[in-house]
Amino acid sequence: MSHVRIEGLTKRFAGKPPAVAVDNLSLEIEPGEFIVLLGPSGCGKTTTLRCLAGLETPDEGGISLGDQTVLDVRGKVNLPPNKRRIGMVFQSYALWPHMTVRRNIGYPLRTRRVPREQARTRIEEAAELVDCAALLDRYPAQLSGGQQQRVALARGLAAQPDLVLFDEPLSNLDARLRDQVRAQLHELHARLGFTAVFVTHDQSEALALGDRLAIMKAGRIEQLDTPERVFEEPATEYVAGFIGMSNRLPLLRQGEGWALASASGADGQAGAESQTVVDELPVPRSHSEVSARLRPDDLQLCPAEEKPPAHSVGLPAEVVDAQFGGRHMDVVVTVGGSRLHAQAPLTGKPWARSLSRGQRVTAWFAKDVAIYYDADGVRTAGHTPTAAVGA
Amino acid sequence: MAAPAVPAPSPTTTPPHPAPPHPTALTRARRHLPRLGALAFLAAIGYLVIAPLVGLQRLAFEDDARGYSAAFDSPDMAETLRTTAGMALGSLVIALVLGTFLAWAATRLPPRLRLLRVLPVLPIVVPAVAAVTGWAFLFSPRPGYLNAALRNLPWWDHLDEGPVDIYTLPWIVLITGFGLTAFVYLFVSAGFGNINAELIEAAQVSGSSPAGVFFRVTLPLLRPVLVYGGFVALLLGLGQFTGPLLLGRNNGVNVLTTDMYVAVSQSPVDYGRAAAIGSPLLLFGIAVVLFQKVILGDHSRFVTHGGKAFRSGGRPSWVAVTGILLYGLVALALPLGALVVVSLSAFWSGRIQPSGFTLDNFRRVFQESGITDAIVNSLVTSVISVAIALPLGFIAASLLLKGRRFRIIRAAVDFIVAMPLGIPAVVFGAGFLLTYSREPFILYGTRTVIVLVYVTLMLPFATRMQLSGMVALGDTYLEASRTSGAGALRTNTEIVLPLLRPTLAGAGALMFVLLTHEFTASLLVRAPTTQVMGTILFDYWANGSYPLVAAIALVMTLVTSVGVFIAMSVAGSDIFEKL
Repeated sequence: MSHVRIEGLTKRFAGKPPAVAVDNLSLEIEPGEFIVLLGPSGCGKTTTLRCLAGLETPDEGGISLGDQTVLDVRGKVNLPPNKRRIGMVFQSYALWPHMTVRRNIGYPLRTRRVPREQARTRIEEAAELVDCAALLDRYPAQLSGGQQQRVALARGLAAQPDLVLFDEPLSNLDARLRDQVRAQLHELHARLGFTAVFVTHDQSEALALGDRLAIMKAGRIEQLDTPERVFEEPATEYVAGFIGMSNRLPLLRQGEGWALASASGADGQAGAESQTVVDELPVPRSHSEVSARLRPDDLQLCPAEEKPPAHSVGLPAEVVDAQFGGRHMDVVVTVGGSRLHAQAPLTGKPWARSLSRGQRVTAWFAKDVAIYYDADGVRTAGHTPTAAVGA
Repeated sequence: MAAPAVPAPSPTTTPPHPAPPHPTALTRARRHLPRLGALAFLAAIGYLVIAPLVGLQRLAFEDDARGYSAAFDSPDMAETLRTTAGMALGSLVIALVLGTFLAWAATRLPPRLRLLRVLPVLPIVVPAVAAVTGWAFLFSPRPGYLNAALRNLPWWDHLDEGPVDIYTLPWIVLITGFGLTAFVYLFVSAGFGNINAELIEAAQVSGSSPAGVFFRVTLPLLRPVLVYGGFVALLLGLGQFTGPLLLGRNNGVNVLTTDMYVAVSQSPVDYGRAAAIGSPLLLFGIAVVLFQKVILGDHSRFVTHGGKAFRSGGRPSWVAVTGILLYGLVALALPLGALVVVSLSAFWSGRIQPSGFTLDNFRRVFQESGITDAIVNSLVTSVISVAIALPLGFIAASLLLKGRRFRIIRAAVDFIVAMPLGIPAVVFGAGFLLTYSREPFILYGTRTVIVLVYVTLMLPFATRMQLSGMVALGDTYLEASRTSGAGALRTNTEIVLPLLRPTLAGAGALMFVLLTHEFTASLLVRAPTTQVMGTILFDYWANGSYPLVAAIALVMTLVTSVGVFIAMSVAGSDIFEKL
């Protein structure tokens, strides 16, 4: 098991202008920890992973795995992948089609000169772990996608590497299989306790698997924290948007209260005076302009004539579209030029089922379930986290 | 499912980074090893390809460029240049039109007749010398079979010879054009294959007529392929040697390649003049290769488009079927038929006499030691050359694909490897003859020099086919191997080579075919005692032993067909599309 340390890692790709894929990134990973790198495509998460594997040549920085310095750009050390004690699971599985499952899983053992008899038992153990013991003598082309990915998993783990790298391993699977393999992976990690770095753009995968999440933006880590804290207290507006707080409501201080900043007008501050919608928000006095971020299930709807409860922000809204979603309705409303998405529960309140385009409603949310970000996208102080208000 | 209850590690204070281990002299040397290896490789193929060309030019510039003045002060030079350009352009036009039509037709075949797609490629299988002699048997003014038949028509029955004279420029151009058609067909077919069917369907659904789809969507998408294929055909047309030599040489139709051959094969041998004559071809070839490297510098042209394969969307067309069959009849069946008839006859006359058919000519082919020696030579040198060219091509392709660290070496390898495709074989033949007839390598008259020139000519094919195989393989299999702890050597032997096996087999078989055909360069470097099939055929042609020529041509065709058959069965029927 290993203590992984990344220091000041920078990787630029040639071009005009050169693209900085990883920007002075530092990260420490505890032994046995499962780290998830989360971010949209192009944020540098895969490049970071490939630098860990030795598949890219970084421009600056250092990486050590345990007591082994595998990268030190200034000291001109950059060990090739085969000199690093790692395992890797690829998005496309990358099972060699000319080898049987047994030979695929056994390959990392052969390269590390594990004696034949020992390798044999370890191959079988690894296959057992991922429920592929019956497939050992088949060729990859004879396996289903889920089986292939489980074999790839077994291959990545077979040599008991210090560090296992996962490059979006679940994204080629269909939704149902993805959940299965994800659960299996989680269980395996709990049992074996390997150190892992897992790259994904899927927030539910990240929340489910990670001991800690690193949310990346433009080659940097925007927030590094446990899944619970990332989910409940996204540090920046970017993280909030990525982790599911998709509703954004720009607000301007107006006298003692707050008014909606018109989303349509580019000059929100100057003209476009609108009505004060709330007296007070848990935001320090120094801020005159914030945006509130909300999850769809924290935005409530009620008939226009009803008054929202106390300690909440009520907004006049117009329904754009309403879709049936099983236990809830997915409703898109406009509030002062902003499009918001509400998940209106249907249990006990069948009112939401009858919503139709053009209908006027009141959208409201409890003041303390929203998170407020300043103009730079940083979370404002003064917010005390509470459990999400259930619907 | 609950999130794992792992406490957030408190922010650790970072201890200073461990000092990097000091690089020892050994590790430093090992770091430079790949670069040295790449340099050594570059030096080897550089010498192979460039030394003969440099040797020729040095002679041409000796004594105040005497070679150049001898070549270009000659009153016939202007005429030769005109003929060369006319032949290249004329055959290019024929090949582009025919090749594009055939490629379109191949997409419009009814499913039952899909196999006909192979037909336009087959003329490549027939050795050029065999095809040209076949045409001569058909359209020679007096004894040509078809000429004799045409003279039975009422409006030509007063003629003693003709109406066609195969030994004149227009007919040489036409035959050359037929030969190039297969190449254009291959390029354009591959282009059709790379067009995503959904692009075509999108145009149809958007309301375009079939003609509108073809001209507004299909043809613009094919433009890069047409330009590239056109340039290749132009280069091949300029370097065309067999047709002009066998048909035009004795009738005053001279092109640069035949002039060059005459300069080094008839006494007094004048290498300087020959080199100077070849210079326009050399310069044009280098220009085209450079142009192609600059314009199509990346390997994106090898990347196949995602989505569904091309379907023309049109219904099967009987025009297409008729066109392909007609082409097959004219370009393949007629010349081969003529060869069969002549080879079975005791002598060549305008009349076909089935009663007099005999196998004597084939018996003689296998009895005369000169001919059997040539056949053995062809097979041995071809196999050895393939065995050498494949590993060279593998190294070159690996370097082109992964050698991003060695920018300059890589660019040089890229250029050198493409040169034998741009520069006519006759120039290489002359260069090799010159370079290996003197110190430090006196190899004239040996099989070795034939192998060397064959390897050189095959470098582009060996490299390009393996390169496209590697590109198709992608990086992930290799990365999976590296991260599994395998070094570069094990990755190559256990992952890359096994996965490339179909590509290797296909490339090997294709090169075997091209080499057993080889005539041009062989004719220049051969010695009277060291012949190959093509050159011995030419000698008998020059002697006028036509039935024997026909028999040798058929044996050559048979040998190549076996090669093609093996190639197709190991590498699939689309092997030619990987060119």
